[in-house]
Amino acid sequence: MNRRRQSLILGAAAIVLTALLPVSGVNDYIVAVAVRMLIFIALGQAWNVVAGIGGLLSLGHGVFLGLGCYATGILFNDYGLPPWLGVWVGALLSLAIALVMGTMTLRMRGVFFALATIAVSLALDQLARHYVDLTGGDNGLALKFLGNSLWFMQSRRPMPFLYAALVFVVAYYWITRWILASRFGLEMRAVRDDETAAAAAGVPVFRTKLLGLLVSAVMTSVAGTLYMQSYQAIDPETAFGLSQAIQLQLPALIGGLGTSWGPIVGGAVMILLSEGTNLGSTKLGIAGVDILVYGLLLLAVVMYAPKGIMGLFNTRARARSES
Amino acid sequence: MSDAAALEVTHIAKRFGGLVALRDVSFRVAEGEVMGLIGPNGAGKSTLFEIVSGNLPPSGGRVAFFGRDCTADPPHVRRRAGLCRSFQKVRLFETMSVGENIAVAARQCLPPDKDWRAEVTSILERMRLTPQADRLPSEITLADRKKVEIGRAIAGYCRVLMLDESLSGLTHDEAEELIGEILALNRDTGITVIVVEHVLSVLAKMVKRLVVLHNATVIADGTPSEIAHDPVVIEAYLGTKASVLR
Repeated sequence: MNRRRQSLILGAAAIVLTALLPVSGVNDYIVAVAVRMLIFIALGQAWNVVAGIGGLLSLGHGVFLGLGCYATGILFNDYGLPPWLGVWVGALLSLAIALVMGTMTLRMRGVFFALATIAVSLALDQLARHYVDLTGGDNGLALKFLGNSLWFMQSRRPMPFLYAALVFVVAYYWITRWILASRFGLEMRAVRDDETAAAAAGVPVFRTKLLGLLVSAVMTSVAGTLYMQSYQAIDPETAFGLSQAIQLQLPALIGGLGTSWGPIVGGAVMILLSEGTNLGSTKLGIAGVDILVYGLLLLAVVMYAPKGIMGLFNTRARARSES
Repeated sequence: MSDAAALEVTHIAKRFGGLVALRDVSFRVAEGEVMGLIGPNGAGKSTLFEIVSGNLPPSGGRVAFFGRDCTADPPHVRRRAGLCRSFQKVRLFETMSVGENIAVAARQCLPPDKDWRAEVTSILERMRLTPQADRLPSEITLADRKKVEIGRAIAGYCRVLMLDESLSGLTHDEAEELIGEILALNRDTGITVIVVEHVLSVLAKMVKRLVVLHNATVIADGTPSEIAHDPVVIEAYLGTKASVLR
């Protein structure tokens, strides 16, 4: 069986299993964990486009998550605009911020872009804390609950979000596959490997990097709307904080940067470990063990599997095919 | 064949702060010519290469490609116009296969009505890299890596090929084979070739004309034999006449 076929069968099985979760008799807590997992997979898939395929280390990608959450929330609470429309306002804002940030930093080499993403996320964190009337300040913004409604994307139970998040993950998987197979994907990979050589091969380096950032920013922001509707609240730390920024990166880092399956596998491992250790830490009465596990996991990946879990699979498959 | 030179650099200068890397460098390369550029380490060869390919802006002067001033064009625009190059230290896309390395340039530079897959196949065959097509650059020899880089440089559309010390690090046989392939490329396709080396004996086998850079400026321009007997070149660079063309 070739790898493409294996991948399709595995994917279909994962989709069916996830879709059947709510009717399998498990409680809402398990479904909520699955929703969290799928949302972080989608956010990881979005980050994977700019960092994994494009090689641009965006350390403050929470900016776009936060813009998606706050735009949807503020427009809904203050103006009654449903998230179906608010999502596009968030996406446009993210596009604008990414365009400004990218135009200013992507012509330079080195750490400027990474630093700029941190600077923007710190600035937005301060703005979100300062404009209390609009954003709720330090306490954050809670969505007004108007009852179960598809139009307002609201539900007391997590099941609808499970299907919505599943659609996101599948759609983002296909977007990643499309990018990897396209001329644009080839350009991004070339730029990631060597900018000078890419330019010498005819690749417009700046345009390629900027386009990669814009695509990733919009994907993150749109997934941010789902995050907002699912959690019903957002605060500056959750949107723009360092911890969140790291969580956005972990699925792709653990699973395998620049691959279509990496963020899916990595996101699943990350959330399962987080929930497991959270449960353990609650029982033991030690808070914050999950954060410690994230750190150790990242360290283990960097040391023993720099290409992530998918990298281990790919190396083994390559060795098998050669032998 | 057009009247304009394939490549013409005029009064090129480059300063890095107080350091003068190039001073009033001018020469023309005719279409279809195989020209060598030599000079000792620090003469300014690589700086000139970077300026011609668009990676460094000159402090003064202009670069014209088939009569069109391209001094302000970014590297990818020059490449798409057919001004192609290799690097002194081979720079391949290390996470991509040999075929994908060539495909990057083929998909950028080939006219839209042409099939890039056919172009990649043709380049792989020309460079004798077909068996290595699916391998990663880290899995092939240095000689093959250099061939991949040249293949990537000519993929799609190439009118002038600039090779920066492409023969260095190769065994005698590998260098001979690569020289043969470069000359065949020039003969079969009419691509103009500019070769940078610092060993005159290597270049003498390939080129009919040499430009010598020394201390940031051109000190001689002529056939390999003329260069080997030029007292200025001997004084500045070669040392003794007898050892030159060996």
